[in-house]
This record gives sequence, structure tokens and C-alpha cells, in this order.
Amino acid sequence: MRAAASMALPVAVRGRSPLGWVGLVVGIALLCYLPVVLTDRAIFGFRLSNMQLLNLGLTQINLMMIAILGALSLNYLTGCAGLISIGHAGFYAVGAMAAAVTGTQWGWPFPLVLCAAALTGAFAGIVAGLPSLRVRGLYFVLSTLALHFIVVFLLSEYQYKFFDVVGIPYNEPRVGPVALDTPMRWYYFLLPLVALVFFGLRNSLASREGRALLAMRDHELAATAAGIDVRILRLKAFAFSSAIAAMAGALYAYYMTNVAADFFSINFAIQFIAMIIIGGMGSLVGSIIGAAIWLLLPSIITGFASQAGASSGLLGHLLNDSRPQLVNLIFGLLVIVLLIFAPGGVAGMGRQLRNGIETLRSRVWK
Amino acid sequence: MEMMLEVKGLSVGYARKGLALEDIHLSVPKGTVVALLGANGAGKSTLIRAISGLIGLHGGAVAGGQVEFGGESILGMASHKLVRLGMAQVPEGRLVFKQLTVEENLHVGAAILPRAKVSERMEAVYTLFPRLLERRLQAAGWLSGGEQQMLALGRALVSGPRLLLVDELSLGLAPLIVQSIYQQLRVVGDTLGTSMLVVEQNARLALEFAATAYILDRGKITLSGPASELAASELVRESYLGTKRTAVTA
Repeated sequence: MRAAASMALPVAVRGRSPLGWVGLVVGIALLCYLPVVLTDRAIFGFRLSNMQLLNLGLTQINLMMIAILGALSLNYLTGCAGLISIGHAGFYAVGAMAAAVTGTQWGWPFPLVLCAAALTGAFAGIVAGLPSLRVRGLYFVLSTLALHFIVVFLLSEYQYKFFDVVGIPYNEPRVGPVALDTPMRWYYFLLPLVALVFFGLRNSLASREGRALLAMRDHELAATAAGIDVRILRLKAFAFSSAIAAMAGALYAYYMTNVAADFFSINFAIQFIAMIIIGGMGSLVGSIIGAAIWLLLPSIITGFASQAGASSGLLGHLLNDSRPQLVNLIFGLLVIVLLIFAPGGVAGMGRQLRNGIETLRSRVWK
Repeated sequence: MEMMLEVKGLSVGYARKGLALEDIHLSVPKGTVVALLGANGAGKSTLIRAISGLIGLHGGAVAGGQVEFGGESILGMASHKLVRLGMAQVPEGRLVFKQLTVEENLHVGAAILPRAKVSERMEAVYTLFPRLLERRLQAAGWLSGGEQQMLALGRALVSGPRLLLVDELSLGLAPLIVQSIYQQLRVVGDTLGTSMLVVEQNARLALEFAATAYILDRGKITLSGPASELAASELVRESYLGTKRTAVTA
């Protein structure tokens, strides 16, 4: 009996192989070197053409990292807790508003503004989660939609009362003595923040609460029968998710330096849903992939389109003239194809591939 | 004899559908197994749901009566609190968390335990169902029906309940597997002294397994008594065991 236990228990300890450590170090090094490449447009002195860099700049990468925060928070809520929200642009707006009040009006330092935005977001999340105690499914989705419009309305009222049509201006953010005044500095500020949120969420999902969350998503009734108070858990998930989204909203506002209420349209909310569908519902890595595809692909397609447009006749003309439509078309197709062939998104495809290789290998070895 | 669970005059209804249960009296003495038998739609699951506090989730409500657990009135208490009081249940239909691994499923069940006790209780469940130990890192959705039922049972047992409610354990499972699961349940009852209320369509099996049995018919208890007596009674044999006097009994 003892033997069975010792066999059963050391599961939680998931060691990283030496190769894994090497990979981790190389990955971190690459991520740290990336902004240098994108700024110098060269690797160790070798100049790269624009297309070799996929028509990407550091600003796109920074915006992507902010979007990753939004996608992570939505995936935590929708993919892991099973609560669909189309109010995530609303939470962004909450963060932007909190940052405007504390940062622009009261002049709080930037890190404190971020904390204030996260706290306000958590509070808004609890309010938004309250309907989940009574309504389910589509009705609940509608309540998050209502939240979106309420928040955006408040933000625009606020904007017109204290600022003007142009939008709300944000100060230059400073972290201690360092001003975040170049994309490079923003990058080195955002990278650890995104990593922190990612690993924080990952650890929380591996904890008791996280397991309870996944259990609730899989089957609410069975989760209740297993002693989980699903109502409290839902509110917690909402608060957690919206705190991250609101912080992302504040970051977004600061990065744009000026934000108007109509930035946070319903399209803005839906893009996060698209990101987690593309990347993979319920997969944190998937959120990163989804946000990356969503934010970087347009630029890549544009780059290729202008290259092709420069060379050939009619097709090039078409590519040049209707670039935005082309981007939309490709996105639409991508989402449809993924929904049909890979409901688990890119992350799900990766998982399937790994399982397939594993099965193949076990057969070959036997 | 001390009662683990006592249901006194319980009536339960679903919205706009009238009463599904009327004036039910039932008791589970401490450390014994009680079976609840009845045909489809007799109200067996409704009774289990009313006891376990899940009736609201199914759109029903208690219209009257009393339910006591360990001498304490529990009517209207939230389901997740009952689990903490020591009433675990295996819901109908093997509701395992399909995307979690076997071990994670058990961890969810063990979440109400103090951390120090978790490994000991997990070990006990793995001893009871060695199959779960073999498959502990597999997603629960990949298990066979029998294994999923074992997992659902294990998830309920891992918290070390005083009373176990089991709803339709044998549904859709091969008879041999059902037999072996019931054997393990007997072990649980014998070693831990867990009281059980077992809802079962397979009357023969239930009457072998339980000490006492109640028969529910269209929302009312029509017959109750020691399982052996019920098994011998004419009515039960005809309606539930499918063996008429003239037929050869197995």
C-alpha cells in the first residue's frame, strides 16, 4: 500500500530536462535581443531587408504584448473558467479611465497608476460577474455586452467633461528614474510584465483554485457536487481576469499617449475572442500565439502584398488597392478554417501533433 | 439506532409540473447501505437531488418536509456546504471532469481536505481502485465507462464522507464491471463504515448489496423493509426482478 502511494505522489514535481533549460535560456536571450534586431534592422551587423524582418517594427511587438495581456485575461475567463465575455474592451476602457483619473488628473506615478487600474478593473469585474450568479449562457454574454456599453458611455462622458473631442492625453510614463520614451524601453518594461502575468496565471491554474475552475468549466453540477462553491469562484475568476484586462487597458492608453472613448468599440472586444479562438481556447500559450497572429499578420500580409504589388500587373494592382480587405479576408478564412479543422486553435494543433508523434514513436520502439 | 440521514415527509415539485415526490419518509442508519428502487420517472433522482441540495439547479423546489443529516436540518443548504459536512455524492451519468487528468479529478474532490491529509486519502482511493492509479495521468475523458464511474466514486470518496449518495451507478455499464464496483463499495462500507444511499435500477443487484430498501413508485414510497424480505416479496419479484412465480429463478 505504501509502495502505491510513493508511486502515486511525486507527480506534481514536473522537472525540466537539461535540454529544456538550454531552450529556456536561449529563448530568453533571443527575446532580449529581438528589439535590437528590429531597431537596427540587422543581426550582428548583417543588414536585413524589410521583408526579411517580415515588415515588422518594435511598436507592433509592443502592441502585441499589450494585446497578449488582454488575450491571456480573456482566455483565463472564457477558456479556463468557461465564462464567455464580450465585455473585455469595456475592462480595457475601465483601465484607461482609471489611468486618466489617477495619472493624468492626479499625477500619480506610472506604476501606481497601473495598480489603481488593476484594482478598479477587479472591482468592475466583480460587478460584471454578478449576473453570472443568476443567468447562464447567452443571457450572461448579453450582460457583459451591456457592461461594455455602460463603461464606454461613462468613459465618453468623462472624456467630454474633462478633456475634449480629441481624447484623453496621458503623461510620459516613468518607472523610477527611467522614462518609457522609446519603443525599446517599452519593450523591456512589457516583456517581464507579460512573463509575470503568464507564469502567474499558469501557476494559479495548477493550484487548487485553478483545478476547481477547470472542473467548473467541465461540469458545473459535478463541481458543485465535489464541494466547490461555483458562485464565489466565478466572481474571483472575473475579478482576476478583468484586473489584468484593465491593467492592459491602462498600458494601451499610455502607449498610445492619447485615447478617445470610441477606441473601445465592440470590434475591439471581439478581436480578443478571435485571438483566443485562433490561438486555442483554454491554452495560455495559445493566447500568446493568437495575439501574435492577430497583431502581426496584418503587417506581414501588407508587406507581401506591397512586394507583390510592385512586381506584377493586375494581381499586383488588386493587392495594392484592397490591402485592408485582403487582411480581413485572410483573417476571416483563418478563423473559419481553424473552427472547422482545429477547434483547439493553434495550441490544440500543436498538442495533436505531439500526441501523434508520441503514438508513432511508441509504435516504432515496440 | 443512530440515523445518518433522515427524510421526513418530504415533498418536491418541479415548476408547473406538480409534485414529483409526495410525503417521503426514509432513513439511513449509521454505517448501513440503503437502496432506493423504482422504475424510470418514479422520482429516485429527484429525491437524491433534494437531499443533496442540487434540486434548484434542475429547476425544482422542496414543497415541504424535512431532511436531517447527522441530526442537523440541511434543507435548503447549498450543495457545496453539504460536501464539507461529509455528504458526498456520485451524480448520475458519471460526471467526471473530462479534460482534467484522473489525478486532477481526485484533487478536485480532495480540495475540501486539509492539505496534509490529501495524499493519504488519495492513496486510499488508489488502493480501492488500482485501475485509477494506472491511469492517473490520463485525461478522464479517455477512460472507459467503468473507469469513469470508478473515478466519479473515487472523487466522492476521497473527501472521506460519512454519507455517500450514489445515483444510478450501473447505468450503461457492463454487468461484470458493475459487480466489481459494488464489491469495492462494500469494502468501503465495511472498512470505513460509510453510510450509503444507493439509487439503482438494477433491483436484483441493489437488493443483494443493501441492508434496507425502499421502493418508490410515481413519487410515493410504496414498500420498504429489509432487503432480503423485499427480495422475497411477491410484488417486488413481479415488478422489479422480472421473475414471476412460474418462471425459473436464476
